[in-house]
Amino acid sequence: MDATPGAPLIQIRDVSRRYVRGVDEVHALERVSLDIPAGHFVGFMGPSGSGKSTLLNLVSGIDRPSEGDVIVAGQRLNDLSEDELARWRARHVGLIFQFFNLIPVLSARDNVALPLLLTKLDKAERVRRAETALRVVGLEDRLDHYPRTLSGGEQQRVAIARAIVTDPDLIVADEPTGDLDARNAEAILDLLRQLRQHFGKTVVMVTHDPRALRFVDDAYHLDKGVLLEGEEAARAQEAIRVSAGAAGARGPR
Amino acid sequence: MKYAGLVLANLGRNKLRTALTGGAIMLAVLLVCVLLTMPAGLDAFLNNIASNTRISVHNKAGLVYAMPYAFTRKVRQIDGVAAACAFVWFGGAFEEAGRVTFPNFAVEADQVGAVYPDYDVPAQQLADFERYRDGAIVGRATMRRYGWKIGDRITLRSTVWPVNLDFRIVGEIPNDRSPLLWMNRDYLDEALKAKGRPAGLGIAGIIWVRAADPERVNAIMRTVDELSRNSDSETASETEKSFFSNFFGSLKGFIAIILLVTGLVALCIVFIAANTASMGVRERAGELAILKAIGFGRRLLFATLLAEATVLSSVAGLAGVVSTIGITKVLHVFAGWNASLGPLGAFIVTSSVIVQGIFLSLFVGMLAGVVPAFGAARKPVVATLHEVF
Repeated sequence: MDATPGAPLIQIRDVSRRYVRGVDEVHALERVSLDIPAGHFVGFMGPSGSGKSTLLNLVSGIDRPSEGDVIVAGQRLNDLSEDELARWRARHVGLIFQFFNLIPVLSARDNVALPLLLTKLDKAERVRRAETALRVVGLEDRLDHYPRTLSGGEQQRVAIARAIVTDPDLIVADEPTGDLDARNAEAILDLLRQLRQHFGKTVVMVTHDPRALRFVDDAYHLDKGVLLEGEEAARAQEAIRVSAGAAGARGPR
Repeated sequence: MKYAGLVLANLGRNKLRTALTGGAIMLAVLLVCVLLTMPAGLDAFLNNIASNTRISVHNKAGLVYAMPYAFTRKVRQIDGVAAACAFVWFGGAFEEAGRVTFPNFAVEADQVGAVYPDYDVPAQQLADFERYRDGAIVGRATMRRYGWKIGDRITLRSTVWPVNLDFRIVGEIPNDRSPLLWMNRDYLDEALKAKGRPAGLGIAGIIWVRAADPERVNAIMRTVDELSRNSDSETASETEKSFFSNFFGSLKGFIAIILLVTGLVALCIVFIAANTASMGVRERAGELAILKAIGFGRRLLFATLLAEATVLSSVAGLAGVVSTIGITKVLHVFAGWNASLGPLGAFIVTSSVIVQGIFLSLFVGMLAGVVPAFGAARKPVVATLHEVF
């Protein structure tokens, strides 16, 4: 996936996503169009149920749209089968989740090396790359630690190391600070920014965290499955800034 | 092999549960293997006692009906017959036991050694058997059971004939499993005459025939049966293995029940192992969703989950098979110590039992793992993520 910085890495064209839940049809996303340039750190923000996680799933190839096109680095994801999407994700996407979701019976090193099992690298090379990724996130002294012996912030760092170990062009993070205290949340947001700055990664993040506005290049606001634009988007952003200020006045959690 | 670490790490996730499930599978395989040793033991027993040159000739109407003793001489003259010996059931009860506790027959003392050369009764003992009318040759199992030795005198009370006879033991059938007692036919004949039966014994219950060549066994059986056709005592000839197989026919029903129980035990263990595998998959739904999300394909996920169940089951099954071999060896030792524990020595672990035990454990693992593994693998990644997050 070669991408020129500034050129759109992700193109979302008139994308809708509907689910059938019981007898109801849920419109999770409605005709969303968006370009995300390569090397940008982008945040999707909005209240619960606004469709931001659905959009993230479409961008990362976890889900497919009901209508419209999702094109990432020239690859139209709609055309890929479930297994092809799995292979595509393994090669091109690094995923970070809110609850870290490390494998409890594997050490930090082995957790990070998991995605490398899907490559043809030999064991020594897998270990070397996993250790490098852990060094990047500042956990070189925690290689043999198991998740239960790591703090929440450290676990999320291991998850980030797992996401970058295959050197993907796109890093996708779903509420990466949602389960962390203020200090660790800031550290994780800073780490994601560094990945974009120093390694040229495109980072797409879903978050409720108003602090994220200080770290991202662009923030997109969604509400009821619709991407807000113009004054509506500005109002939503302002509301988040105000809540961030209030949160700052209360001090870190 | 690169996924072996992941499979083993997951097996170590809940060590107690893995140990309990493995223990259940091990015990089930052990039980199945022990049960399977019974039919295998019977087969081995038949192969052990049955010669491929020996033929049983008995009344076509059934074993309880006799044949004229004179027919033995006719059989002996058939081309290809090396030796033939008439057997008559004496039904003797040892005085201390009060009932028939071992098979005892009146046989032709000058013929029996030639019919049973494979029994390896020493020539001197056979000669003594011919010389002494009251002589008896006894199988080693019965000798040990009653603590008899050569030279001892014993009395048997017949439950068939109106006589009690005293015997001197002149020989031993050197086979740990042989319970037989042979007595001299002439001795019984004279005793019956003395009891007012002028015709004496006059009959043969079974005529055991040894063919000179295994190739001629079928021809001899046909000739014998042809010889008796249209007589008062038509015969039915069969090989020794067939005879004992039919004789122990009642055991076949018992063995069928054993095999049925074996199958049910195997099925139970499949359910237990499947339940454990399902619980493991359910508990790890979140992790499995993440593995899918980071690119583990459905086949790979299915294979690793199936491998977990199969590895556990195979290791436990192997332990079960090894335990079976160990336990049966211990039982054999016990059986050797005490004659009353003799049946414990009948558990024979053949290579077929070992192979069946190993295949059973593989089968249990795969069957137990396939449903939960398939269920976890087939769901689309987004559906799995929605379920758990």
